[in-house]
Amino acid sequence: MNKQSFGYTVIFTALISFAFVFLLAMANELTVDRIEFNNEVRLQRSILNAMGVEFDSDEHAAELFERVEQVEVEGLSLYSYERDDERLYAKEYSGSGVWGTIRGHVGITPDGTRTLGLTVLEHQETPGLGGRIDEDWFQEQFRNKQLVDGRLEMTSRDGEGNFEEDSGEIDGITGATGTSDSFANIINAHLEELYNALGGESA
Amino acid sequence: MSSVAAPGPILKENLWTNNPIFMQVLGICSALAVTNLLANTMIMTLAVVGVMGMTNLTVALIKSLIPRKVRMMVQTLIIASYVIVVDIILRAYVPDISRELGPYVGLIITNCIIMGRAEAFAQSNPPLISMWDGVTSAFGYMGVLLSIALIRELLGFGSLFGYQIMPEAFEPWIIMVMPPSAFFVLGIIIWIGKAIMEREGAPA
Repeated sequence: MNKQSFGYTVIFTALISFAFVFLLAMANELTVDRIEFNNEVRLQRSILNAMGVEFDSDEHAAELFERVEQVEVEGLSLYSYERDDERLYAKEYSGSGVWGTIRGHVGITPDGTRTLGLTVLEHQETPGLGGRIDEDWFQEQFRNKQLVDGRLEMTSRDGEGNFEEDSGEIDGITGATGTSDSFANIINAHLEELYNALGGESA
Repeated sequence: MSSVAAPGPILKENLWTNNPIFMQVLGICSALAVTNLLANTMIMTLAVVGVMGMTNLTVALIKSLIPRKVRMMVQTLIIASYVIVVDIILRAYVPDISRELGPYVGLIITNCIIMGRAEAFAQSNPPLISMWDGVTSAFGYMGVLLSIALIRELLGFGSLFGYQIMPEAFEPWIIMVMPPSAFFVLGIIIWIGKAIMEREGAPA
């Protein structure tokens, strides 16, 4: 058979495309459950982390997560968890960073005046600069932070983190002013919403 | 291009005398994009090793069946398929690194070295030696990228593979974290490589 003929070319192309698409479909089918499971675990860990609930393994996190409820408070959809008579809330936040959407969870006390913690699930910031928002030291700054008028201030100190719980300030990332500012805007928009919805004004 | 078909000379050629990056100056885009942290560079270049080996093997196996007119299209199809398989594997088994690399794994498809070797070597050589050629070319690429990443991570973060190496007092060079620094480092590496080669008297 003439391998350069039109007919052969069309048939060959169709067959080889089919073969490789089949290979991809197989690879996808074999891993789809695992990928979904990974995403699910990541989401659970993020929500628990934001609420400051501690766990020591993925299994433990999944077990604790069974007690997390999704609730509506003043039109805001929140995750809620009860720990020793104490109610904890977490909310998903998202907004535009310098290069793309930043998404994660922020935990808050029932009166909306103190954050419990914060996580970053997704971002496209510059690796090594703005991308450092996914590092622990940056996120740990939001642990038990007192809000000032429902907000947190992004400052530029030494870029090593501000862990004073009552300062109302978060230390931004050195060399990543754009990301730090966008992040402050995103998180404050969500915090103010929470502060108002949870009645922080009257507290 | 000289056509040697023995494993030894191919190894030397791909790692050194005809290194894809500093002799052929191919694959520059990823040399700039994924070289600010050694760990990411390592995973990325290992992915390239796998994709190149498999692509060259496959192209060499079916080369007699491929009509000339659609040769390039078929090569691209093969490369793209393997890259997506690698991407899926990374996402399933090392989700954290997969997230860090983001779109760059997918961009392996456009790495000119892979297509270059498929076209220049696998199209006209037997399967196993083609696979060897693909793997060693990718090692040549890996060597240069890791050298760039070594310098960039050390000066940009003061660490290697995430472990702090430089003393506390060391002020990180922000420029080393940004893509432009890879141009300087790459330029210096090409310069050094060529200088050594000329001294050895190899035709540069």
